[in-house]
Amino acid sequence: MAIIERPSAEIAVAGAAPSGVKPSEALGVFKRPAASTSWKDWLVTVDHKKLGIMYGVAAFFFFIVGGVEALLIRLQLAGPEGKILSADQYNQMFTMHATTMVFLFVMPMVSAFANYFVPLQIGARDVAFPRINAFGFWCWLFGGIFLNTSWFLGGAADGGWFMYAPNSSTLFSPSHGIDFWVLGLQITGIASLTGAINLIVTVLNMRAPGMKLMRMPIFTWMTLVVQFLLLFAMPVITVALFLLSFQRSFDATFFDVAAGADPLLWQHLCWIFGHPEVYILILPSFGIVSEIIPVFSKKPLFGYPIVAMSGAAIGFVGWGVWAHHMFASGLGPVSVAVFSMATMAIAVPTGVKIVNWIMTMWGGKLSFTVPMLFAIGLVVQFTIGGLSGVTHSVAPSDTQQTDTYYIVAHFHYVLFGGAIFGLFAGFYYWWPKIFRKQLSESLGKWNFWLMVIGMNMTFGPMHILGLQGQPRRMQVWTEARAGEGFFNIGFWNRIASLGSFILAVGVLLFIINIIYTHKSKKVAIAPLDPWDARSLEWMTANPPVEHNFDSIPTVNNLDEFFHRKYAEDPNTHEVRQVATAEEVLAELNAHPDEHIHMPSRSYWPILVSLSLPIICYGLIYNRLLMGVGAAFLLLTMFGWAMEPSTAPDDDFDPPAPGEGGGHTKELAPLG
Amino acid sequence: MADTALAHGADHGAPHTTTGLSNNKLGMWIFLGSECLLFGGLISTYMLYKGRVSAGPQPDQIYDIPFTSVSSFVLLMSSLTMVLAVSAAHRRDDRNTNLWLTVTALLGATFVGGQVYEFTAFYREGLGFTTSLFGSSFYTLTGFHGVHVTVGIIMLMALVGMVRRNRIPGSKAETVELIGLYWHFVDIVWIVIFTLVYLIPS
Amino acid sequence: MNKSPRRRIMAAVGLMAGLVFLAGCAKDAPQDTWQPAGPNAEQIDNLQQPVFLVAGIVGIIVFLAVAFVVIRYRDRGQSIPEQTHGKPALEVTLTVIPVLILIGVAIPTAGTIFDLAKTDDTEMVINVTGQQWWWEYDYPSTGANAESYGVVDPIVTSGQLVIPENTKVLLRVTSRDVIHSYWIPKLNGKKDGVPGRVHLLRLEGSKPGIYAGQCTEFCGLSHAYMRMETVVLNRADFDAWVANQLKPYESPAEGTLAAEGESLFIQQCSRCHQVNGLTNADGAPIIAAPEQYMVSGAAPNLTHLMTRNTFAGAAWDLLTPECRDDVWNANTEEFGARYLAGVSAECLNQKDLREWLRNAPEKKPMYADPTKLQATDGKYRGMPALGLTEDQIDALVAYLLERK
Repeated sequence: MAIIERPSAEIAVAGAAPSGVKPSEALGVFKRPAASTSWKDWLVTVDHKKLGIMYGVAAFFFFIVGGVEALLIRLQLAGPEGKILSADQYNQMFTMHATTMVFLFVMPMVSAFANYFVPLQIGARDVAFPRINAFGFWCWLFGGIFLNTSWFLGGAADGGWFMYAPNSSTLFSPSHGIDFWVLGLQITGIASLTGAINLIVTVLNMRAPGMKLMRMPIFTWMTLVVQFLLLFAMPVITVALFLLSFQRSFDATFFDVAAGADPLLWQHLCWIFGHPEVYILILPSFGIVSEIIPVFSKKPLFGYPIVAMSGAAIGFVGWGVWAHHMFASGLGPVSVAVFSMATMAIAVPTGVKIVNWIMTMWGGKLSFTVPMLFAIGLVVQFTIGGLSGVTHSVAPSDTQQTDTYYIVAHFHYVLFGGAIFGLFAGFYYWWPKIFRKQLSESLGKWNFWLMVIGMNMTFGPMHILGLQGQPRRMQVWTEARAGEGFFNIGFWNRIASLGSFILAVGVLLFIINIIYTHKSKKVAIAPLDPWDARSLEWMTANPPVEHNFDSIPTVNNLDEFFHRKYAEDPNTHEVRQVATAEEVLAELNAHPDEHIHMPSRSYWPILVSLSLPIICYGLIYNRLLMGVGAAFLLLTMFGWAMEPSTAPDDDFDPPAPGEGGGHTKELAPLG
Repeated sequence: MADTALAHGADHGAPHTTTGLSNNKLGMWIFLGSECLLFGGLISTYMLYKGRVSAGPQPDQIYDIPFTSVSSFVLLMSSLTMVLAVSAAHRRDDRNTNLWLTVTALLGATFVGGQVYEFTAFYREGLGFTTSLFGSSFYTLTGFHGVHVTVGIIMLMALVGMVRRNRIPGSKAETVELIGLYWHFVDIVWIVIFTLVYLIPS
Repeated sequence: MNKSPRRRIMAAVGLMAGLVFLAGCAKDAPQDTWQPAGPNAEQIDNLQQPVFLVAGIVGIIVFLAVAFVVIRYRDRGQSIPEQTHGKPALEVTLTVIPVLILIGVAIPTAGTIFDLAKTDDTEMVINVTGQQWWWEYDYPSTGANAESYGVVDPIVTSGQLVIPENTKVLLRVTSRDVIHSYWIPKLNGKKDGVPGRVHLLRLEGSKPGIYAGQCTEFCGLSHAYMRMETVVLNRADFDAWVANQLKPYESPAEGTLAAEGESLFIQQCSRCHQVNGLTNADGAPIIAAPEQYMVSGAAPNLTHLMTRNTFAGAAWDLLTPECRDDVWNANTEEFGARYLAGVSAECLNQKDLREWLRNAPEKKPMYADPTKLQATDGKYRGMPALGLTEDQIDALVAYLLERK
């Protein structure tokens, strides 16, 4: 269904191909895949919305995997001298927990939202390079699966997600775990890089008429900032991973201290990537709550330009603070002082955001729906995480705190209480947009409160554990050295473990909520605009038609959708509704574009990306297999290059009428 | 595709975009921005390690500056021929486009050949990949650059074939320009590497 | 509905208050970071206490603001509010306030950073070397060490670092394999021991006692079992300790179980573990060669094992719990004498030491399985299982008990 003639809701919503449209032999090596409603369509799709859903589903699967790893860690630490996991298993478990949560859950879940909503929010019909978008998804998925197969092939990586040299060399980690880790992250890194290029071009180049940068929704803004961070951060970790894999696979000397190597090289490369990565994880959630809080306060975002610019400022200053992860690693006092100051500086734009969210709610008309609850949860919990962050920007104090549970507490407040709460807010907020049904509010409230209690019970006590001197990455703690009294680490370890299971029940309720919502006959189809939303993604059908908008709206305001529904009296500032969402949509769709040329499905993205894990298995086990993978890669890349991204019009039957006329929206030819 | 071009009045069928730059060109620029950091990381690694020779030859013992200068000059010249190819493509002159693309690819291949020769010579003089930190980081940095040049050559040759058979999707001139951007970038990186690695004594 | 957020906020406030409260309460946590016992840790503590306080106050203000907004502005059917986009003056004010607070934090921070990095007032130097999974302390017999503290020959020890009271000790921290981190929370912050680099860490204790710490940079399998303790002794006790460390070796009396243990030690242990003064049958000194057997190239020097209260990377006590408490809880005057008494036969923690000698890798996870050492060319990381009989263990324990 590459060409949509006079789109109408019936055709588009069903997602079925109009009969008669069949691809003939195009310029590609194979016939292009035809549209179908079967599961196979998902393998060849280049639709940003389907890819977004696939990112979301797969990332949520990895969230459960990483969550189970976390529960095993907490079970091990629930009592003294834990026996659940051996030291070796424990080390693999915390390495993979972090790796999974960062690279296989939060980042791809952000990709899910960005893929689905950025084109909708800016009034585009797809991303700039749809095939590369599909390629990125499959790279990420295959990389993630590849990484996790190490569990069944002699053990996963055991060096921690920071993978400090020289502990990561074959001498100190002889299993293949770290090889899998390095190569798996290289593959998923391709997805991040291509995704970054794709989304940056999309946001810069494909905005609807009138959608100036300063009219873009904050989620799109934050996505843009994050993609720039990814763009410049990924190559740095790519270099580090190459150095490490050359060391492990080809005996290079980069981290060989006997040859004169400096182990701090790895730390610098790791954290030059790693600190921007922190903002890569959190900024999209800031974007999500900046969408949600105005909607449920019935007010525009307070200080919109400052929120957008502070996001950009965080992204910029985020490059100058990496060494605050290394205050104990022996930098000179001048470096320590500079990085300490820079770290304090970054607290300012972060604090500005919190102030703006509160000021948005101030004087508003607040309704506490589940997405709003999660958003407020983020504001409160992120504040705790941010303030504990300030306490270790003070470098001397950080030398007491770094590598203790205090840090674990800090970044879980930031990443779980912040990033993940933001993602959950997004799930509840955008669910009806994607799946037509609204998740149950009452189950959602249980979900929220259990997660809040669980999260604070798990990570709150870790502040105490850390300040009491319990280091991170400890396989066991001993009763003999746990201390006594109210703050003994035995008690608080038990509380944390208990909390983690409450948290798990909270997450389980989310899954139950999904099943209930979609299985129960009692849950009706959600209205078009269930939240009385403000931005463009709501100005189309639920779920959006394949080409997103029958006609591309012209944007005159920040919060365009809201302004089409409501009018404000310039004198009294009284706001009254002038149109319903349905009316706005009907008006927009009154003059649909006649000839919408959408990108065509392709086999090549999945095939090219499939060759990457083959090459990597070959590198680990058998150089011949590597050759096979490389040959497959070249062949499939050739096929890709030979296939135009959009099938020409005469490749379809019936051919497009109205030569030279109509409102055509053409997408990228090379992507 | 013809109807698009007519509808927007844009040249070469480039779709209308917000910035006015085509998606492809913007994408390439952004990609090259990312590549800067890749080479930045590799160059930093080399600069940190170039003096660390626990075994095998020192840098100044094996560098053959005149030889590398010539091959650098060859690579630099290929940027000039690339410019000629782009301008021929803009004139829709397929014959000259292909001619200059081929010359560019040949000059690039000469450079890569020189690099292979250089690597072999260094290896014979006792500098293996695993010999010292200098060896590992030298081969990694210049190797990565060599791979970039090689990828460029493959793209150029593919482009020649596609121009000849008229199978380029979208605008021909723009596609040549895109490959040109990449090619110039790789050349500029070499100038940096040549200066930092070969010319500045350790 | 409006009650629950309030409750949550109260819980958060409670948490922050709890954190602030923490300092005064936890009397017995051995690694508490808020109970300094030396000027370096005190300086850090003086810096961080106000920071925690300010952070707590800011947190409470934010929570109260959220609580106020949530309660005051919830939807009671009021009309849609004015679509205001912000108030620049307010925004600037709310940006400037945190900037000022942070400047207030930054200035003393910078001062403390440079103060803590000073090394020109050093009175004693000790080399501290980490390896999987224990620390080695080496007191060089040069400079002030020899002149003022009587360290006329190098002292090599492990497990417990012994330093004189009120003395500015400079640790030269490094590592023989992977990165470790030396951390005695009550005396100073941590500093990584990085192979190929020497990092400097000031340490000074103002009150005699034992101060616990733990390796804080992930260092592989037994990271959790890599502990350390620093013992602060008053000057007289420290001198006595040095004299004892330098005293010549005495072989066990002929025919005793300990003598049996000595020959067993020579056969089984002296390949890696040095006991200074131990000689062959022909009188030649026995020099351990751990570099042939160990990846790190080192194993703890056991010459005066029983003067320290811990073994196996300070993971276990050599003293029974009661005797250990006697030392740990001794008052300042008595502490030195109790510590210098070392480990007596009655106080020896037989259980853990015997388990260790029976099968060390089972007790502490280590890469010491001879069948799985391809990656290291057969070298161990950690002590292997020696396959000793119970009689042999008896003899070894008897021998080790005399290593004071």
